[in-house]
Parts: sequence; C-alpha cells; structure tokens
Amino acid sequence: MHKILLVEDEQHQRELYATELEEEGYEVEQAGNGKEAVEKVKTSKYDLVILDIRMPEMDGIEALGKILSRDKKIPIIIHTAYSNYKSNFMTWTADAYVTKTTNIEELKNKITEILASRAR
Amino acid sequence: MNGKNLLINLLFYLPDAALAVVVLSSEFWDDPHAIQIFLVYLLYLFLRIIIHVYFYFSQIVQSKNYIIKLIASFTKGKYAVAGREGFSNSLFSDVISNIFEAGRYFENLVGTQNDEIEKFRELYYNIVLTANSYFLVLDSKNEIIFSNKSFNSAFNFTNDELMQMRFSDAFYITAGRLIDAIENVRVHGESIILRQVRLLSRKKISIIADIKISRITVQGEYQLILVIDDITSKCRKDYQISLISQISESIQKDSEIDRILFGILTSVTSGSGLGFNRAMLFLHNPETHKLYGKIAVGPDSFEEAIQIWGSVQNDDRTLLQSIEAPFINLNKGINFYRQVTEKSFSVDEDTIFTRAFHERKSIHIYDSYNDPRVNEEIRKFMDVAEFVIVPLSAGNKSIGLVIADNKYNKAPIYNDHLELLSIFAVQAALSLDSFNSLDSVKQQMEKIQSRQDAIVESEKMAAVGRIAAHIAHEIRNPLVTVGGYARRILQLLKKPMKTTEPVEKCANVILQESERLEKILSNVMDFSRPSPLIKEYNSLNDVVTDTCSLLNNVFQEKKISVTLNLSKKLPLVKSDFNQLKQVILNLIQNAMDVTPAGGEINIETSRESDKLVIRVRDTGSGIDEDNLAKIFEPFFTSKVTGVGLGLAVCKKIISDHNGDIYVRNREDRQGAEFTIELPAPT
Repeated sequence: MHKILLVEDEQHQRELYATELEEEGYEVEQAGNGKEAVEKVKTSKYDLVILDIRMPEMDGIEALGKILSRDKKIPIIIHTAYSNYKSNFMTWTADAYVTKTTNIEELKNKITEILASRAR
Repeated sequence: MNGKNLLINLLFYLPDAALAVVVLSSEFWDDPHAIQIFLVYLLYLFLRIIIHVYFYFSQIVQSKNYIIKLIASFTKGKYAVAGREGFSNSLFSDVISNIFEAGRYFENLVGTQNDEIEKFRELYYNIVLTANSYFLVLDSKNEIIFSNKSFNSAFNFTNDELMQMRFSDAFYITAGRLIDAIENVRVHGESIILRQVRLLSRKKISIIADIKISRITVQGEYQLILVIDDITSKCRKDYQISLISQISESIQKDSEIDRILFGILTSVTSGSGLGFNRAMLFLHNPETHKLYGKIAVGPDSFEEAIQIWGSVQNDDRTLLQSIEAPFINLNKGINFYRQVTEKSFSVDEDTIFTRAFHERKSIHIYDSYNDPRVNEEIRKFMDVAEFVIVPLSAGNKSIGLVIADNKYNKAPIYNDHLELLSIFAVQAALSLDSFNSLDSVKQQMEKIQSRQDAIVESEKMAAVGRIAAHIAHEIRNPLVTVGGYARRILQLLKKPMKTTEPVEKCANVILQESERLEKILSNVMDFSRPSPLIKEYNSLNDVVTDTCSLLNNVFQEKKISVTLNLSKKLPLVKSDFNQLKQVILNLIQNAMDVTPAGGEINIETSRESDKLVIRVRDTGSGIDEDNLAKIFEPFFTSKVTGVGLGLAVCKKIISDHNGDIYVRNREDRQGAEFTIELPAPT
C-alpha cells in the first residue's frame, strides 16, 4: 500500500482528498503547511507527496526545496488552485503540476501514473 | 412866490383896486349911468377871468406834456434833456428848473458810473466770449440768446445761426438727464452740475462735458446759463489708463478671447475711450496667410449711432462690465459686424492694409476716394473718406490690424487720436499675445490633464483588473472546495447509505465555504462602496479599548501581550465610531499576523499640538523599505493569504476624517509603527 503525504492548508479540501484517496486504497497522512510537511518527511518515508503552494508558515515552494534536499527521488505532485506558479522554476523540479479543480480524477490519474512509472 | 412876481401881480391888479374904490364910493351910484358903467365893468372883469383861465390852462397842459417827456427820458437813463428854454418864463419854470438841476446831477452821477459799468461789462464780455468754457444763455423758450466764441468755434456755429435757435435744434438730445436738468433748474432755480455728458451737435461734433446750469432773472423772465466744460481729452486719458488695466485684468480673469477682443474694440469706439465711430479688428492666421475680420464694433447707420450714444450716456457702465456682459449693442451694427467678420484679406497681396501689417506702422488715409494707395476693394469695403490703420504687433511679429474711422459724424481724425490708438493697440496686442500664450499654456495643461486622466483611467482599469484577479484568486479555493464536496455528495448518493451523516457533513462544508465566499465578496464591496460616515463626538480611547476587548481571546490564544498607553486629556473627536474601530481592528490584526507568540503590541493615544494621534506598534519583522510606500495601496499584501485591502481601507477611512495615516519601522527595536493623526477639534 502506497503511503502518500497530503500537504494542504485548506482543511476541507485536505479532508476531502484524504477520504477519496483512502477510498482508492492509499495510506494518507496530512500536513497543514510546508513546515509540518518537512517535519513529517524527516521522520517517515513516503511514496509520494501532494504539495499545495499557497500556505501559511511555509509555502509549497520552500517546502519543495527542503523535501527534495532531503530525498531527491521522492515523487512530488504540485497541487494548487493557481496556474501561475508554473512560471516558478522550482515547480519544474516536481514530477507533476496539477491545477485544482472540482474534479479529483485528474489528480488520481497522475498519482497512478507516477507510482506506476516508479515501480518499473 | 418871489418879490418880483408879487410886484407884477400888484401892478396888474392895481387898476382893478382903484375901480373898486370908485365903485364902492357913494358918489358913484348918484350918476344916472352908474348901473350901465358897472355892468360894462363886470363884463370887462368876466372877460379878463376867461382870458386868464385860458392862459393858465394852456401852460399847465404844455408843462404836463413836457414833464411826461422828461420822465420818459429819465426812465431811459437820460437825465439831461434839451429844450427847456421855452419854459423860462412859464409859471412852472421854477419847478422845471429844479427838475433840470436834479436831472443834471443824476446825469453826472450816472455818467461816471456808466464808465465804470462799461469797463466791467467789457471785461466780463471778453472773459465770457473768449473763455475756454462754453457759455450759452437760453431764454424762457429754450432758445439760444447768447453764446460765446469758444462755443461757436467748438461746435462750428456762427453767431447768426445760433441766435433764437432752440437748444434742441443745436444738439441731438440723447441724454434724458440733460433735458431733466434744464427743466429742473428752470422750475426750481437751483443750479445743477451734470458730469460727463456727451453732447452731439447737429453738425455732428461730439464732446464729453461737465455742464453747469444756473437760472437768472432778467426783466422778470427766467433765463438759463449753461457753462459747458469740455473734458473729452481728460476723460479719454483717464479712461484709457483704466481701460488697459481692466483689459489685462479681464485676461487674467480667464475671459474668452472674443470677450477681450470685444472689450478692445468697445474701448476704441466708446466716447470716453478714443471715440471712433467704428472699429474693426483683423487677426492674422499664419497658416492661411490671411487677415480675418474677427470682430467689429460700430453702428450700421447714423440713426443707430445716435441711439447707441444715447444708451451709453444713460448708463455709466465701465468697460469691465461691457467685457463681462459682452455684445451689449450687438443688435445694433449687426450688418457691420457681419460685413467685417465675413471679410478676409490675403497678406501676400500688396494693399494699404498689408503694408500697415508688414511694416508695422500706422497709416492715416485722409481721402480714400482719391488716394492711389487705397485699392478699389478696400475703398468699397471702408466706404469712408478718412480712416486709420494701426498694426497690432507683439514682440517682433504682427498679429493683426485695428482699423477705425468716423464714418457717421465725419469728425476729422487728429494726430493725438491716432497716437492714442497706436499706444492702445500696443497694449491690446500685448494683452492678446499674453492671452494667446496663456491659451497655449492652457491647451498644454489640458493635454497633460487629459493624459493624466487617461493614466488615472487606465490605473482605474488596472485596479479593476487587480480586483478581478484578486477576487478570482481568493474565490478559487473555496469554489474548488464547494465543487469537490458537491461531487462527493453525488458519489455518496450512488451507493446505498446506512446513514445520511457523510452527506450532511459535505453539505455543511459547502455551506461554510459559501459563507467564506460571501465574506470575501462583501469585503471587496465594502471597500468599493463605503457606507456614509456617521460623525458624532467620540473618545479615541473608547475606540481603542472597545476594539481590544473584542480581541482579548485571540490575544490570549496567540500569546500576544497588549499594552495600552492612553492619554486621559484627549478631547472628543467628531468621527464615525464604527469606522475608526475598523481601522484599529485592521491595524491590530496586521500586527498579530506578524507578531510571533510572546510578542507585544503597544497602542498609544496622545495629543500633539493640533493633532490627536494613535500609534500602534508591533514587535514583528518590520516592513521592507521597498514596501513602506506601497503598503496602503489596495490589494497590496505581503501575506500568503489576505485580501490586501485592510490598510487601504484604513487609509480611506482616515482621510475621510481629514486625517493622515503612515507607517515606519521602529527605531528602538524590530517591528512596525503605524501612526494615525486626526485634526484636534478647535
């Protein structure tokens, strides 16, 4: 069972995504901001990180750097409501950039795709 | 009766006495013829009496006639009358001789007086005749019975023409006040002085005069003396000086160019200005090389001229008024105006106009009909023998022409008129030029203004864009959440459910997120459409303490300590309590956002000279120098979340209270200090 870290400051969204991903059969751990995420990465090992960008305390861009400096191979999906962060080259280091929509299927497909390619 | 006469009478009556003695003697009546003799004697006496009576009567009549003649000559001032010799022996010769003595005495007396009177008469006569003032004497029928030489020469009358001419036949009576004054003086006898009356003679000579009217009584008849002082040139100079200052004043007062031009021409034609009948102004257009008739002032006909002069006389309007109430007489002279404003002359042709224009010198045409310099077009256009052309030049360039004439009264144009017109034209040109410069500056200003407006407009559009972008930004997350949970509900509903709890939970989230959306929108709306201020007298300290009590729980939760240093001597301030609370709330919230746990927020109120001051200090990270200026701009935010309107709202509210809000970094330690200044009540 793949273990996913869901980093999202919007509590309602985080709960919704966690529920849905768990229903897909993933083990989901949650973090409310970048700082928490970095802490979690230090203590546990995750197969994939879903990372929001606009967050208090520490945003996704900063967290992305810190997570990657700790584990260069960990797959990371940027998941944000805004497309403009695509212009920030830091986001290019992530494995995927998914813009939040009402429909979660795209995120689910991306997760499956990335995990499958890593398994090979 | 003297002794000589007594003797004569005695001799005359002696025979009578003797006869009486005889008759009264007794012997006489003894004569038988006595009665006859007595009767004859009686007859003789009777005849003598008749003769005497006749003699005396004829003398009395003769004397009476002579005395009447004497009195008649006395009343004529003749006291020495010839022909008294015939009376030397008369009964009345003594009386008449006495009268003659008295007459001679008077004759001497009056004779010496007459010499004196004659001297004075001559003196006065000379003064009156040759004085610079004009003298007129009107009899009871307002007919002229005397005028002095100055009057005659000034108005070009001969003495014979004037005598018994009615006053109204000598002058066009246009001034009601002159007629009123004449009647008033005639009836009440009190002298009147009229100032600045325009007189226009039937020979079309016009002057401006002060007129003194007095009444005298001559042989029981009222006569009027008019002393007329010609003040035309004095008026003109005074007027010209005030004119120039008024015109430049009117230019400064942002009048339209047409008004200024009209003012210029009105002053050229106004009686106390230069007094021309007609004036027209042509302005040069460098692009078309043409002189265009810009404006014209003057009557269409002589009758109209009389009317205009009459109306100008009746109200003493100043030029400034005529500039401000332009085109007073535009219903007069409308044809002339049209004729001029439809006219243009090319400056490339060689005419008398273009010569004046190019050479920048005045030209005086005395007889246009015979002057070879005047071409047929101009001759026809002017339709007058004498006129003057004066260039309008500003600096080194000609900008136009003023042309003036006396078409209607045909008064000759004197050199001093021309000189005045030239001086005036220079002033007018300068005024015009400065107006043009002013105008071009204004046009530039307008251009800049319109550019600024465009910038402001584009800024506004950009602001609208920012608002849109910001709202889009802010509402994106809640919308995604709402949509996500709605989908979730649909998914849940596809499967059989033991309980509705999960669906309820989703619905609750949707509800919460919708409320959040509403809040974002209302926050934006509040800023763009602020509610009207309700200003009452409030204590700033109350504003601060009220706001802090709202937030006490938050302070505790965030472990932030708040200290208040409130001045107890603050006066109440006319302000909107809730809006000021909003300001303090926003500042405290900002301070809390940047202040870590254990930090401190300090709020201070004080009075500093004429200002009431609130300071909010935090112990956060302070503000980047770059951002200090931008911090109050709408949608500026350094926070990851936040609308960026908080401080903009503060700024708006404070400026609505005529106050000021600014920020700086603290000098004593790290952190920011926001200062609000409100005017202290006076």
